[in-house]
Amino acid sequence: MTHRRRVMITALVFLLPTIVGTLIFRLIPIGWSFVLSFYQWKVFDTATFVGWDNYAHIFRSPISLGVFVNSAVFSLIYVVGSVVLALVLAVVLNNGLRSSAFFRGAFFMPFITATVAITLAWRWIFSTRFGVLNNILMGLGVDNPPAWLADPTWALPAVALVSIWKDVGFYMILLLAGLQTIDPTLYQAARVDGAGPVQRFWKVTVPLLTRSLFFVLIIAIVRSTQTFEITYALTNGGPNGASTTLAFFVYQKAFVDFDVGYAAALSYIMCVILGLLTLVNFYFRRRWVHE
Amino acid sequence: MIYHSLRAALVFGVAACPVLAQDVTLQYLSWDPEQLEVERAAIAEFEEENPGVTVEAQALPADKGYWPKLTAQAASGDLPDVFMMSSGFVQEWGAAGNLLDLSGVISDDELAAYYEGAASVGVVDGQRVAFPQNWVAPVLFYNIDMFEAAGVEVPQPDWTWEDFRSAAKELTVDTNEDGRPDQWGFSVYGRYAHVEPWVFRNGGRYLNEDMTGLDLNDEAKAALTFLTGLVTEDQVAPMPQDMEGIRQQDIFPLGMAAMWVDGSWNIANTRTIVGDNFRWGIAPVPMGPDATEDTAAFYAWADMLAVAKDTEHPDLAWKFVQHLTGSSRSASDFLGGKVPAYIEIAESEEWLETDQMPPNKGILLEIGEDNVYAGFSPNWSSWRGYGASGAGGMNGELDEVFNGRKTVDEAIAAFTAFGNDVLSR
Repeated sequence: MTHRRRVMITALVFLLPTIVGTLIFRLIPIGWSFVLSFYQWKVFDTATFVGWDNYAHIFRSPISLGVFVNSAVFSLIYVVGSVVLALVLAVVLNNGLRSSAFFRGAFFMPFITATVAITLAWRWIFSTRFGVLNNILMGLGVDNPPAWLADPTWALPAVALVSIWKDVGFYMILLLAGLQTIDPTLYQAARVDGAGPVQRFWKVTVPLLTRSLFFVLIIAIVRSTQTFEITYALTNGGPNGASTTLAFFVYQKAFVDFDVGYAAALSYIMCVILGLLTLVNFYFRRRWVHE
Repeated sequence: MIYHSLRAALVFGVAACPVLAQDVTLQYLSWDPEQLEVERAAIAEFEEENPGVTVEAQALPADKGYWPKLTAQAASGDLPDVFMMSSGFVQEWGAAGNLLDLSGVISDDELAAYYEGAASVGVVDGQRVAFPQNWVAPVLFYNIDMFEAAGVEVPQPDWTWEDFRSAAKELTVDTNEDGRPDQWGFSVYGRYAHVEPWVFRNGGRYLNEDMTGLDLNDEAKAALTFLTGLVTEDQVAPMPQDMEGIRQQDIFPLGMAAMWVDGSWNIANTRTIVGDNFRWGIAPVPMGPDATEDTAAFYAWADMLAVAKDTEHPDLAWKFVQHLTGSSRSASDFLGGKVPAYIEIAESEEWLETDQMPPNKGILLEIGEDNVYAGFSPNWSSWRGYGASGAGGMNGELDEVFNGRKTVDEAIAAFTAFGNDVLSR
């Protein structure tokens, strides 16, 4: 046996547990769920082959289409809100804000706190007549503040707000790391050339941060499609489905209605949408990301 | 019937004989951890009576994954021997062929010892696939102190809906005169246990005869209109959105509403929260103006036990079911408003708990003897809006009506279309 072959076999032996685990717990279920998407199956009964019916039903059902709209609105609010806010916080902290170590910890804290715990706190804040937020608003003279979690107009933005609040610290840390790689002499040079703070931000900071921004953008888009725990604990997808997004809808279909073929079809549509979004991002990456 | 009897005789060939099995383990899955703790003594007694038999009992609450776990076990052919079965799911599970047919293993005389309405829920396509342990029914909870303070007579069995509306108006009070009542006469959300009691007591039905589609009759529409009027016109009940942040089941116990209709299982929670703060009672939901004695039904359903079709110990499993549902149980095993399906235990002084609130728990027994209707269908939790789907379906639409954002007709059109789509799958 040659040395090269021995190395290959040794490597394979060490990789085998991971390969087997990935196959059994990831790849085979992923493939099997694609097959399932062509069946109607309640799990506890016999599966029936229905061809493309699950997919066709998804695209003609007003409930499913409403979920896609909710998901798009949520993603838009979440991605824009969290990336912009994370950038602002990172820049402020990077510019020598006093107690920046404290604020770094404070902003990161929601990300590592149990979701259900923080969501219960937010439910109390958002409570219509007994919540802190509406009591403050009423103190400021607002007679009928919104029913944040019970009004279809406000429920989805409220879920997005809590999601942004929870995740922004994570994105901020990533951007802060990117900011700290920028050579300070570039700012000194810009100052010498007469650039003000706004010009330095747009002409120095943003161009040199684009790689980190691109990474954060991709992560934020992916996470925006996966929102589940906050929706589950805050609104349960309500009122009347107004805050039901795709991941939560998949859960409802799979584990409440036990319509697993339908849930699998929804998952594959979500997968295709996410793949397309990522491809678009990578295509435009060449235009705005500085290598 | 002959077929069922013969089949049962084969399956339960040794059922009538003493259990001779050695070192047999029987698996039992419950969705109620609190109830299971109470059942431990009965389980130990069963093990003692059946030497060599061990019962492995586990509880997993319904909102912590009871149904997904049970479903996965069914798919892998590994169901527990005995498990709890809900009235809402028994039709689908029975039709799917996962549950052992218990027809014929119990005689008519033995069956007569159980509430008929509760026992009938477990019969699917002529097969008895689940057996009742206890049953529950929504009732009208009322705050005796508030009624006395307002000088209004407490709810009576012969109350009409107008009597109810009139009392609710008297009991809605704005003590600090800020334009918002501090005490509501009533509390109602779109959830099943709040709405169906009124619909069924008016002779209303949501489903067609064969339970394959939603087709609301006029009595059902009238009941929904009546409830909507209480919130949006009479303003004797708060809009659900205004109470966001408070659990719906806490509004009455916290003294924020004088009346409330919900399941009798809430008796336990209400006792805990109210303590000695006020006196309260329960009453039957008033009969609707469009119903007759024949068409008015009380909403009631059973919590049941089922035996896995592929169990290796059908005789022992059935014996265990009988033990947990029959005369060997104590009245104290059934908490609050859960009514034992076994009539003798339910009618015992011990279960009536006359030394506690509500002092008139016996009303539940009268309901059990009356005309009852459960109204569940396949995919019920989805079209009705229950559990993790609770913010959608009919529940979500009715909350929109009670919040003043939709009319009753708009909501009916929306949830009928949705429900029929769900039922068609």
